[in-house]
Amino acid sequence: MSVLVANCPACGAPVEFKSGQSIVVICSFCRSAVARTDRELKDLGKVAELVETGSPLDVGVRGKWRDQNFELTGRAQLGHQMGGQWDEWYATFSNGWLGWLAEAQGRFYLTFQYPIPENITVPVFDQLQLGQQVAGLPWPTPLMVAETGRATALGAKGEIPYLLTPGDTYFYADLSGPDRGFGTLDYNESPPLVFIGNEVTLAELGITTTRAPEREERRVDAAQVSCPHCGGPLELRAPDKTERVTCPNCNSLLDVNQGKLQFLKALEPPSFQPLIPLGTTGDVPEGKMTIIGAMQRSVTVDGVQYFWSEYLLYSPPIGFRWLVDSDDHWNYVRAVPPGEIAETGKYATYQGKGYRIFQDAPARVECVLGEFYWKVEAGEQVRGVDYVAPPYILSKEESRVYIADPEEPSGKRRVAGEINWSLGTYVTVPQIEKAFGVKELPRPSNIAPNQPYKYKWIYKYWLAFIAVLFVAGLISVVTSGLPKEAFEQMVTFQPLPNEDGTQVFFSQPFELAGRRNIRITGESPVDNTWVYLEGDIINDETGVVQSFPIDISYYHGVEDGESWTEGAQTDAAYTSSMPAGRYVLRLEGQWERWQQPATVSIKIHQNVTHGFNFLAALILISVIPVLMGIYHIGFERRRWSESMFTESGSDDDDD
Amino acid sequence: MLKTLYTVFGVGVVSLYAVAAMLGWEISGGSRRQLPPDARQNGYRSFHFWHYGLHGGK
Repeated sequence: MSVLVANCPACGAPVEFKSGQSIVVICSFCRSAVARTDRELKDLGKVAELVETGSPLDVGVRGKWRDQNFELTGRAQLGHQMGGQWDEWYATFSNGWLGWLAEAQGRFYLTFQYPIPENITVPVFDQLQLGQQVAGLPWPTPLMVAETGRATALGAKGEIPYLLTPGDTYFYADLSGPDRGFGTLDYNESPPLVFIGNEVTLAELGITTTRAPEREERRVDAAQVSCPHCGGPLELRAPDKTERVTCPNCNSLLDVNQGKLQFLKALEPPSFQPLIPLGTTGDVPEGKMTIIGAMQRSVTVDGVQYFWSEYLLYSPPIGFRWLVDSDDHWNYVRAVPPGEIAETGKYATYQGKGYRIFQDAPARVECVLGEFYWKVEAGEQVRGVDYVAPPYILSKEESRVYIADPEEPSGKRRVAGEINWSLGTYVTVPQIEKAFGVKELPRPSNIAPNQPYKYKWIYKYWLAFIAVLFVAGLISVVTSGLPKEAFEQMVTFQPLPNEDGTQVFFSQPFELAGRRNIRITGESPVDNTWVYLEGDIINDETGVVQSFPIDISYYHGVEDGESWTEGAQTDAAYTSSMPAGRYVLRLEGQWERWQQPATVSIKIHQNVTHGFNFLAALILISVIPVLMGIYHIGFERRRWSESMFTESGSDDDDD
Repeated sequence: MLKTLYTVFGVGVVSLYAVAAMLGWEISGGSRRQLPPDARQNGYRSFHFWHYGLHGGK
């Protein structure tokens, strides 16, 4: 097919198929979807006005992807079965490629249609399981099913490369994979069409749209509306995103459709009051964000219901984030692509970091306040699984809903659902108080699943000091040189008069060098007996006396058929260096076999390397880290005592 | 606070070890005393002094 200019069959206004591959063009005058066939133009009916989503894109915007220029030539707006809508932009490339640029929640996904390999059978919609990998797709990394649902064609603009009929619905599955991989299985046809690509940024697409500032400006404008139930004033802080809001005046749950409110039901009085008021703007890690909604959720484990609060943050340039308050512990939470996470048993991996499972239980919405971007209501339940690696917590929420299939006359309903992963980062209470300008928030009294142990730094410091100590020891050994003998003599003590007697020996003077430690070694051929020497090194000039003991005892024998020994025939004493000078050695000896003479060989060395000082320094340096390590073990025990997956109190291990 | 304290303590211990290694200090060394002047004058080799003077007897 080629470029075609013709008249709209509905209103007669000129319509133009700029792209040869376009099937449908939306008449800009009467909003009719005009399809071209081989013979004629066909009016498919009028499409609805596009919901203004504040997209930075528009038909006619140009960009570049992998060195290929493209132009956005069409836009389809699709509705989600749970409310809300997303845009799909049709990108016509200069080399003939056709791409789809999907835009949802401020994220962009560029995909291209791929033929399914002949030997591959893509599962039918009803066989799809959330989290299952779809095998055989022409993509280098595995893609898993992250969402299944039903889309409705709401509106369109420009040219569309397929037969878009307003109001038509089709089932789809969104796939997610590592390295920002993204895909869609489009069950509008059988077998399904396969679109695969990546999550992209506008910068990567070379799009520097002029609409972005306008979008931002428009989006920050809150809308002042009235509650349709009580007439009270109500502020919508994200009017283009909000699907549900509660009235602060009458506590009604209201449905929001493009800023128009519809009363749904009166809610019970809220069971909790947000600790940070709705509408408060705070400085979070990614910039300034405003709290637009809050909800209380609960989980029941072993019959005990545990509650926590979640605050929805919104900022036009950033999107949506969460603050979670659980047991007065706070987390800043953002969504992460499901395909980036690998789950294996009790562990999950995200961006190379391992996380350990902490909890797996159904989480229920108890109470909602303010605005939400999906049709939330009390009682909504998802399966929540938490994995922790302090200070992070990786959470999976898996939800399933039954949706009607308009093409099933029997009224059969189909299962749809989605997996959402989010990454929470632990934030201290003072940080929250500072960020949102609130005071006196309650302090936590227990340990959070991902609360970081704040003294972990001590292990690094400990290792650093040990390394420095080793280096210092090595330097001292290398620089001090070899030991030097200062004195040696064989001393023979004559028999004593009685067992309490002693005998004294004085040596001839000898020289000692300064700044060198001293080792005195005594050796005696004792055999199942002992010799004890009380020693003194006396400075002949100054009268300084350094005392030391030498205790030589050596015993051995055989007991119950096994030989044993105790002690040694040698003993040594170390003393600090003494001032350089002339010294005399005094020894006063006692020995067990006093009736016999005792012989002792005495040696004095200087500059002797040994480990007492090193060991003492090592022990001193290690005392605090070891105590902190013991505290750390207790800290972790307390943390994991709250988990369902611990040896002490888990579901799985206790059974 | 603890970080500062431990840093100061650790630096102190390592420094002390390095100084001890340079000067030949031993923490395991025995006691060191000074002979009184009279003992030195009278001759410290006397039996009486060592048993009842400096060591206080056995």
